[in-house]
Amino acid sequence: MSRAYFAEDNPGNKVIMLGNEAIARGILEGGVIIGAGYPGTPSSEILTTLAEMQKYFRHLKLEWSINEKVGFEVAYGGSMSNVRSVACMKHVGLNVASDAFMTACYAGARGGMVVISADDPNCFSSQNEQDNRFFGPHALVPVFEPSTPQEAKDLIKYAFGFSEQYQSLILFRTTTRLNHARGNVILGEIERIEREYSFDWDRSRWVCLPSHSRILRVRLLERLEDISDAADEFPFNSLKISKEKLNGTRYGFVAAGVPYSELLDALDYFNIREKVSILKLGMVYPPPRRLIKELLKAVDEILVVEELEPFLENILKQIAYEENLTNPVKIHGKDYFPQNGEFSAEIYIENIANLVGMNYEKIPVPENMMIIPPRLPILCPGCSHRATFYALKQVEKKMKTKFVNSSDIGCYTLAVYKPLEGLDTEVCMGGSIGLANGIAKIQPKENPVLAILGDSTFFHSGIPALINAVWNNNNILVVILDNRSTSMTGFQDNPGTGITITKEKGTRVIIEDLVKGCGVVPENIWVEDSNDINKMVEKLSDAVKKEGVRVFISRHTCSLVEMSQMKAQHILPPVVKIDPEKCIGCFICVNKFGCPAITFDEESNKATIDETFCRGCKVCIDICPQEAIYEELE
Amino acid sequence: MEGYEVRTAETHGMAQRGGSVASYFRFGTNVEGPLIPRGKTDVVLAFEASEAVRSFNYASSKTVFLVNDKIIIPPMIHQMGMEYPDINNIRNFLKEVSDNIYFIKADEIALTLENPRVMNVIMLGVLFGSKNIPLKEGSLISAILNFIPKKFHDVNRKAFQIGIEEGIKMREDYNEQSILCRG
Repeated sequence: MSRAYFAEDNPGNKVIMLGNEAIARGILEGGVIIGAGYPGTPSSEILTTLAEMQKYFRHLKLEWSINEKVGFEVAYGGSMSNVRSVACMKHVGLNVASDAFMTACYAGARGGMVVISADDPNCFSSQNEQDNRFFGPHALVPVFEPSTPQEAKDLIKYAFGFSEQYQSLILFRTTTRLNHARGNVILGEIERIEREYSFDWDRSRWVCLPSHSRILRVRLLERLEDISDAADEFPFNSLKISKEKLNGTRYGFVAAGVPYSELLDALDYFNIREKVSILKLGMVYPPPRRLIKELLKAVDEILVVEELEPFLENILKQIAYEENLTNPVKIHGKDYFPQNGEFSAEIYIENIANLVGMNYEKIPVPENMMIIPPRLPILCPGCSHRATFYALKQVEKKMKTKFVNSSDIGCYTLAVYKPLEGLDTEVCMGGSIGLANGIAKIQPKENPVLAILGDSTFFHSGIPALINAVWNNNNILVVILDNRSTSMTGFQDNPGTGITITKEKGTRVIIEDLVKGCGVVPENIWVEDSNDINKMVEKLSDAVKKEGVRVFISRHTCSLVEMSQMKAQHILPPVVKIDPEKCIGCFICVNKFGCPAITFDEESNKATIDETFCRGCKVCIDICPQEAIYEELE
Repeated sequence: MEGYEVRTAETHGMAQRGGSVASYFRFGTNVEGPLIPRGKTDVVLAFEASEAVRSFNYASSKTVFLVNDKIIIPPMIHQMGMEYPDINNIRNFLKEVSDNIYFIKADEIALTLENPRVMNVIMLGVLFGSKNIPLKEGSLISAILNFIPKKFHDVNRKAFQIGIEEGIKMREDYNEQSILCRG
């Protein structure tokens, strides 16, 4: 069997790789042994690619951890044991891990330790746009940021040795357009590190109690100063000075990451790349002081090109102030570029044109601009979440009340859209139960308070909030949408399936047992098949009406996972049809249930099922009041 | 591929859930970032008619639009009180955007091969056959087959060939001014 291109042991070979594959490759080349984390777009493919590599490189010890904090701790345990380790997460995941991260940075790294934070300007698949470069000055550790897949591979490989040299953790920050971009990558040597791997019983270092931490903090500050001194020579930082003027002015640019690549393209657009000075950073924190000083002295105006916060801009302004160079040089940044969203290619071009006085005419919008309907992501055909939210709506209607549906992060968040409109809050992983605890303290009994979250999310951070509700008698109904998969991020396994990242057999954790263990009394626990809609409505009614902390586990395998399982076993899905004689065109199936496999035919004014989309879940059979939907049996 | 620098940008996770997906593909000898500026796209390959409209601002009058002649009504538009536009309006709008609008019945052709999933390979064949991409046939087909299980190689080869023939036919209609092929 031939190896996947990213796992070839063939240095010098040139391949096209996804940014995340290139990062995984750099981790492999860097001699890493432990990799852990929690899935989250745009970071997820890093660990799954490593898991593919593990077939050929058995020394890799990988896991999906239960959440980012534990993932970080797993990797840090490796670092303590002299092993090169990596923890991998999306930007908001670092919030979860930050309790461990902030103090681990005091004790520092033994085996090289890198924490990957995949940031998401534009919230392509996130709840916020936070800029995790700030974790550098916050935790007093260096922040690396690559600009291309090639640099991502080389930079992360380099990071592990750098981490050991300075005994510092490294924060490796990326953005979506790096993680999910492809580019040419030249493969490098896969390092094999020969040394003794063992825990080191140095209590003065690993036991961060006050008397130790005061000393560790001094060492942490010294380390950062050493790194700061070395930043000017950092091989992924570079300064190119041009003495040329454009319209009488000498211009300089500062950039890192994807904006650096886009800046070069934009400069090439006007053919001025060689006519301006450019400071390119591979380490965005701590800054290379001498290089910045040289740039400040060499130009008249500087544009700092960075997405989100004015992180580098503020650093530049501070250094200019400290070096007494504020007067002759103008430093621009957020006065040109927006502080929100991802920059499109023309934002770079436009702003460079504005700065240096080039001509750039926007492409005009056609006169008769056409309105086309949006194509939003929605719950899949056959998705068991749709059935659960539909059942909840029926119960709500029957009880003539309004629920507070505190919800969470997962595919099911898509139920916020019409027609289900089934959730009222979504803040962070596991937040549904925590928020419900508070809302239940205020909301009158006529408005039952529900917390609705997925299986993986419940494991991630829902459990402490559930125990909290039991302990404090907060009157809530927790609905766990157990589809046996972490679907939104790419169908990763979780404790509920008991399968590990390398598809080996771990130990399954049974949600209902766990819930019992959290103190929920057995008569307040229900487990039902999400797709058995009549029973769901009946049992959910019971659950909503009861008092105390209740947990309803709505269980049905993710329809996409179920489809692939059926395909592997050569089972055809049931064929479901609508009898046009019986259909009266009430469109409950289209307008209330909203399965994308059901459409209405405008000519006949009747609903029809698109067989290419239908997964044969049969839920619509039960919701049709005319009994017009049926399963076609052979 | 053939010694070029390649950059792509992709949208992950939305397609499976019925969302709109745009991928950027750049290659050449001097390519840095993955994004394409407005009006600077050489070719728009649209697998659905209204999606071609959605990408209009990446195109100019010189951009070649290769559009799969297929409509997929976005789910939920009725609940949102919206309508899918008339296909003729889509055609007329695209003609305002660019001089080079070509519709290909790729889904229908794919059905004649009894495999609806080769639609995209047919479209790639058209892209190559119409000489809109300066790459060699051999490297394209081997790149395609690299990602496909062996048992589907034959049907994909056929699909690519049919696409090429469609592309050659289409090329005869070209406005000479806008021929892009530099290879």
